[in-house]
This record gives sequence, C-alpha cells and structure tokens, in this order.
Amino acid sequence: MKVAMSDFLTTSKPLIKRLVKLLSEDYKYVSVLGTDTGGKSFQASKTGYDVSDYMFRERGFVVRVHNGTNYSEYSFNEISEDKLESIAESIRSRLGRCDEGIAVNSYEVIEEEDIKESFISDVEINPEELNPEKIIKELSAIRDEALAVSDLIANLRVAFAYQHVSKIFISGKKDLEQSYIIGESSIFSIVRRDNKVKYCYDSASGMRGYELVSEIREKYREIVDTSIKLLDSEPAIPGEYDVICAPDIAGLIAHEAFGHGVEMDMFVKGRAKGAEYIGHQVASEKTTMHEGAAAAKHMSSYLFDDEGTLGTDTVVIDKGILKTGISDLLSAMKLGTVPTGNGKRESFERKAYARMTNTFFAAGTDKYEDMLASIKYGYQIEGMYSGMEDPKGWGIQCIALLGREIRDGRFTGKLISPVLMTGFVPDVLKSISMVSDKIHLDGAGYCGKGHKEFVKTSNGGPFIKAKVRLG
Amino acid sequence: MLDKIIKVIKSNNNITGYLITETMEDSSEMFFIKKNLDMDRAKSVHHYAVTVYTDFEEDGTCYKGSSQTEIHPTMNETEIRKAIDTAAYAARYVKNPYYPLVEPRGEYKHPAAGSFSGMNASEYMNKIVKAIYKYDDFQNGGINSCEIFLNRVYTHVVNSEGVDADYEHYSCQVELITTWKEGGEEAELYKWLEYSEFNPDKLSEEVREAILICREKAIAGNTPALGKVDVILTREAVKELFEFYHRQSMASSVYNHNSTWKVGDHIQGDEVKGDLITLTLNPFMKDSTCSRGFDGDGYPLEPVTIIECGELKRYSASNRYAHYLGVEPTGSIQNMEVKGGKYSEKTLKSEPHMEIAAFSDFSVDYITGDFGGEIRLAWYYDGKERLPVTGGSISGNICAAHNEIYLSNELQKDNSFEGPMAVKILNVNVAGV
Repeated sequence: MKVAMSDFLTTSKPLIKRLVKLLSEDYKYVSVLGTDTGGKSFQASKTGYDVSDYMFRERGFVVRVHNGTNYSEYSFNEISEDKLESIAESIRSRLGRCDEGIAVNSYEVIEEEDIKESFISDVEINPEELNPEKIIKELSAIRDEALAVSDLIANLRVAFAYQHVSKIFISGKKDLEQSYIIGESSIFSIVRRDNKVKYCYDSASGMRGYELVSEIREKYREIVDTSIKLLDSEPAIPGEYDVICAPDIAGLIAHEAFGHGVEMDMFVKGRAKGAEYIGHQVASEKTTMHEGAAAAKHMSSYLFDDEGTLGTDTVVIDKGILKTGISDLLSAMKLGTVPTGNGKRESFERKAYARMTNTFFAAGTDKYEDMLASIKYGYQIEGMYSGMEDPKGWGIQCIALLGREIRDGRFTGKLISPVLMTGFVPDVLKSISMVSDKIHLDGAGYCGKGHKEFVKTSNGGPFIKAKVRLG
Repeated sequence: MLDKIIKVIKSNNNITGYLITETMEDSSEMFFIKKNLDMDRAKSVHHYAVTVYTDFEEDGTCYKGSSQTEIHPTMNETEIRKAIDTAAYAARYVKNPYYPLVEPRGEYKHPAAGSFSGMNASEYMNKIVKAIYKYDDFQNGGINSCEIFLNRVYTHVVNSEGVDADYEHYSCQVELITTWKEGGEEAELYKWLEYSEFNPDKLSEEVREAILICREKAIAGNTPALGKVDVILTREAVKELFEFYHRQSMASSVYNHNSTWKVGDHIQGDEVKGDLITLTLNPFMKDSTCSRGFDGDGYPLEPVTIIECGELKRYSASNRYAHYLGVEPTGSIQNMEVKGGKYSEKTLKSEPHMEIAAFSDFSVDYITGDFGGEIRLAWYYDGKERLPVTGGSISGNICAAHNEIYLSNELQKDNSFEGPMAVKILNVNVAGV
C-alpha cells in the first residue's frame, strides 16, 4: 500500500514557490524545506496505557538564503497568502546582520541542476488505517502473556510507534517531494528480586508499518527470560577480552567509531582525526562499512536530505581502508567534495548538520558457529544502551545491556551487566578478526550530535569478533 | 486559534476534560567556527499541545483515558476536528485509573523576570559573542567552534477546570568546543552552558576555564589500570549523579515500579559513614532556565525538600501520580538544590584518588543506579603527585556506594542545579588504558 503525501504540503507548494520567487529578488540562492511529520505512539504496561502523538512531530518550513557572504536560515510554522510579505521581511531584517566586529566565513552560491522527483514509499500494514482499539488490545495481549511468565516482573511495557514523514524541497531549480512511514515496536521488562533490579529490552524497527508488532511478539519470552537471568549477573571485571559483538553492538561501534568520525562538518572544523586518514588503513581487511540513505531500506532511507541533496550509498571503509566521509551540502562546498545527501535536521526548527542515516558493517564470510567456537574465554556483547563519539581523539564509549560469558567456545550461562566498552577506534577495528555472513539493522533509538540534535538513524551489521576493553 | 481548538473540543461529547499548552518561541542563533561566524539563524514558531480526557466507568471502577495530540497553527478546522476526534476516540481505550485534573488555586508566583527580559535579541547576541571570546587569545589553544542560541519562550497552560496560567522565560544556550595543542596530538573538550540571566563576566570565566582545562587534556597521560580507587566526581557529573535521587523519589517512578523508595526510608542505609543527602526542589532558583511558577499540568509550584539528611521526606509528585499514591502533589519541578557536606574539597582530595573533570558521557541508570563513563580528563593523585590522565573508564553502582559518599561543602551552580562542587565515592572500578 502506498502512503499518502501530506495534503498540507501539496497545497502549500504554490505559496512556497511564491515565497522563493519573492526572496530571490534579494538573494542569489533561496530554498525552502517544508515538513509535515505526524504519527502515533501506543504503549501498554503493567501500570497503565498511553496514546500520544509521535514525539518528533512537526509541521513547518525553513528558508535558506545566501546573504551575500554565507548562508542564513529562518524557521517558521505559520504561512498564508497574507503572511508571505511579513515572512520575507523577517528574513530580510533579522538575518545576515551581525555586528561589524565579527569576522564571517564566506561560501559560494549553491549551484543546482534542474530536478523534479518524488518518492512515495509502500507499507505492508498502514498503522494510520488501524483502529486504536485494535492496537491497544494487541499490545495488551502481548503484555499479559509476558507478565504471566514470572512474578519477578515488576513492570513490563509493550510499545508500538510510527512516524509518517512528508517533506518538500523547493528552490529555483529543485522541486522534490517524499513521503514514507517508519515504525518501531519494543518490549521493556523490569524485574526485581530483593533489592536487585535489572531490565532487558528489544525492538523491531524499519521502514515498515504495524507488521513490526508480530515480530516483537515473538521475542517477549526471550526478553523476559534474559531480564530474569540478569538478576544473577555480575559487573564486568575490567580488562581486555575477546568478544563477539551482536549486530546491534557491531552497529553501535560502526556508528560511534566511523559514523560520527567521518561527519564532514567535523572535517571543516578540524575536529575529526579521520580527515588525516583518508586512504589509510583504519580497520582490519575484513571490515567494510556502508553509510547512506540509499545504502539500506530502514529508518533513515529517503530520496533527498534536508538540504535537497539526493541520498547515496557511501562506502566509508573498504576492506579496512578509510575511503571517504559523509557530508552535508555546505561542508562539501567548503571541502570541495561531492555532497553525499547526509544533511539532516532534528526538525525544520533546527540547523542541518552532516548526520548519519543507515550505518552498518557489510557481511563477511564467517559462520557464527565458527566464531563462537574460536573464543577461548570472552563474552558475547548484546543489547545497545548508549554510545558516545569522540571524532577528535578517536576514543569510543559503548554501553551494552549484557555480556554472555564464553569459555572454550560455549556459553557458560553466566552474564555480566552492564557492559562498558571503551577503546581507541583503530585498535578496536583493526582487531576485527571474524565477520559473520548475515547483517541485521536496528533503529529504535535516536542519534545525537554532541548532546543535542536528535535524529532517527539505523545501525547494524553482522556478528563481529574483536578484542575490546571492558570496564 | 486557542478559542477554535477549545470550541472543537467542546463539540465532542466524549471528551470530559482537556489540557492545552500553547508555546511561542522566538530564537536567534549563531554558529561559529574558530572566531568566524559560519551561519546565522532565526526562528519564530507557535505550538499547541492538546491532551483530551475521557472519564468512564467499568464494573464500578472509574477510569480516566487520555490522548495527546499536536495542533499545528496551519491546521484548518477540518484538520483540527479530525485530530481532536481521533485523540478522543483513542482515549476511550486508554484505561488508566481515575485522577482529577488540576483546579485553579489562585494567583501563581513567578520567578524574577531576569535580565534578558524585554531584550533586543541582536544587541544581546553581540554582547554574548564578545563575552564568549573575551579570553580566546591563548597561543596553543582556544575555541574551536561554538553555537549560541538565545530563546524567548512564552508558555500558556489552560485546562477544562479553569486553569489559565502563562509566563515568559529566556534562555541562552552555548555549545562550546575547546582545543589545545601542546606538542603531541591536539586535545578537544565539550562544554554546554545554559543561563536565564545575562552575566557576561560569569560566561567569560566559564569559557576561559573550559579552554584552560583542555590544556590539561593535551598533556594527559594514559589512565592507569587502578582496579578499585576512590573517585571524585566534579562539574556536570555531580548533577547527573543526584538526578538518580530525584528520579527515584518521583511518585511516577514508584507507581511504575522503577523505584521501591517509601516516605520515611533512609535511602542511603541505616549505617551511613559519609555525608547524608539533603535534596530540595526549588522552582524559583535564580538564573535557571527551568524556573517557573507552575508545571505542565498548571499546578502551582513551591520549593519542597524531598530528601532530608538521607531520609525520603516526600515524593516528587505530579498531580496524576500524587493522586495514585494518595499523597499531596509537589508538581513537577526540575531545579535541584543539594546541600554540601562536612568537608572541604581540599580535604576530600587529600588522600589518593581519581578526580574526574570530563567524561565522554557520564551515564547514570535511573532504575538500577549503575553509573559509568569513559574518562576524557581526570587527575590521578597517588598521595604524592597529581597527574592529568585520559582514556579508560569508571563504573559502579550508586546504591552499593552511597552509604559512604562525601560531598564537598563548597557548592557549584550549573543552570538548574546547585550542589556540591565535588562528590567522593569510595572503591570505584577504574579500567585503565
């Protein structure tokens, strides 16, 4: 089933084109990104229910103009025929007018080619067509089945959320539009015994609809069982270990290490060590890493980014060699490179930065069973909790829910939790010695830049065997 | 628009109550690379967040269903009606225990207007830029990049019971990246600053400190594998640590079984060797972007002590969860004040320890109390020498450690937090490089 393009954006297009024309009298470059993103989130827990609009809903516009020296932007969310002139006046009077004592970077005027394209995605089960009663009842049924597993469950939450994204991009030469649905479903189980509390969660996500709920239903037993087993887990003993990283942790490493590490606005600022290593070996020969809106069909797959650049599939690392970075439009102009379609905004209210889309290690040729058998003493690390980038120092911090102890190629049943994994990025990536033959992507969380600017991304990869430091 | 929304709500017979939060935000933003302005932005937006409620009864039990939706200012009446009706329909299946909505309780107190009040944005932006770059004249280091946001936000809360409250507040946010090169690799650190008052001297001094501390990272050696060692948390990590206590004391956390704390509990245990925690929530804290006279439900706020000398005195409770637990609401207050301890920072640092100035991301799990993070900059004091170190990580659990933690008697102020400058935690795992 095709999703529907926003009526609001479709009907606003003539007005936006007039605004572009109006502003083009004063500015050599004018573009407008229009967004209309809605969606709902549903949740059933042991203690209550929630139905709300999806957290990152938005409807508005951002104008970008070349002010004669560099670029200025204005975000607004009220537009009508009689407001066009006042919007234009706000742009003229408020932007490009800093104090004379402040030095200003200069940028060339963006040169565009004529392009008119549209992307409307398909969805198997469109959640917009479903009755909220059906969704709440089904989530409640999964919750009840899971709660019946153990009295140790203090609370359990089953959730489904979807986001219907519609965007237009209008400039002198570009007329782009896209509309797609992304979804995510999750289970979160908190267990308590005496004074010890632990939890486990898992999710299913992608450029998909309500069918994700069936997928998460199949996981509830494993999630609850793991949360209970975590009650007997111990903290990790600090040290260096051979580990197998599950696909979500492999994805987290890809994301934090050479996702953030090659965002090319960081190259412009001199904040990325990666800039010095283009063409050099930064990972083992078994490592190939992709990044891009066109690299996979998942949470951040689109026709065009928030600056009107078409999405691509960038091979960031090819057989261990760092090939290139990912860029927004202005960074590419500054660096003299081709923009990769990675200019993303948290919403129309925020600036565009070079951001990740779908980031993953490519599949290898190793069998998972052989990887497991090769570990004398180590852990399988699973369950993404959080990560933090350090593009300048190439440090990496990844926190995972748990590690499963492996001795002589077998799981012992012992768990460590939580798992804090740190290291020097090239050391971690060069230690990758085995890569499994299937990949999996996840995208239920959010990615920030520094500590803000949250956007949807997906990360993943195959199982990878590496040597890491656990804290 | 507000009247139009209320009219549509009132025309739906299934809706028994509503809460609308109207916000208008006007911002000026500047983005610098080194000392040069790379981009400027402005924003003028208007939002309406609407929650509709449906009271119903099943088998003699009363429920309050609710559903929240955003009404965009560009929505026509047909769209507004569709959004409201969809939310109202969904609310019928949100079978939550009944609770009353907030009722008007007279006049609201308001925080002091603040020095940004009545501001000319461009004039203030230029003053902020000058204050940030005042000390950026070091030969080996300085500001790599900086983002400045100056926001004026008007918030208006109305509900079906007659609550009608509004206020305007200002926030100045600065994201700062500082670098320093001292022979080897260039070092970098991150700093987030936030104010509701314009105090150029304080801003300049904080930026200067951020630059100078980066110099320490540039000369830092690798963190040794110390095993267990006493750790002193400083700066942002202290605030994050006490956020665990705030979250655990919330009525919502207790109701949702994320916390087992009960009023009267000695939360640090019965045999505390270190300092006892006293935590007050103060909605009128000076120079905090989170200060306000009422919360998101329109509940009037007053300062309230939640934890006193290690004992949980009352829950931090929003209107709904206070009703569920049968306690008096405090409303939702974000400003935290934590009393200092017995000893000075100097005394806490007199024994061997690891003092951590910056993490990649200090993470505290608000449910389990697990904490940890990669060390970006610390000083290790072995009893003789104090050396800057970087890399490696710390990890531990607050609940296992807080029967003996020490809080400095000097205080720090960081936007919505006022509390000890330093917190000493004993026997924390330190993984070296």
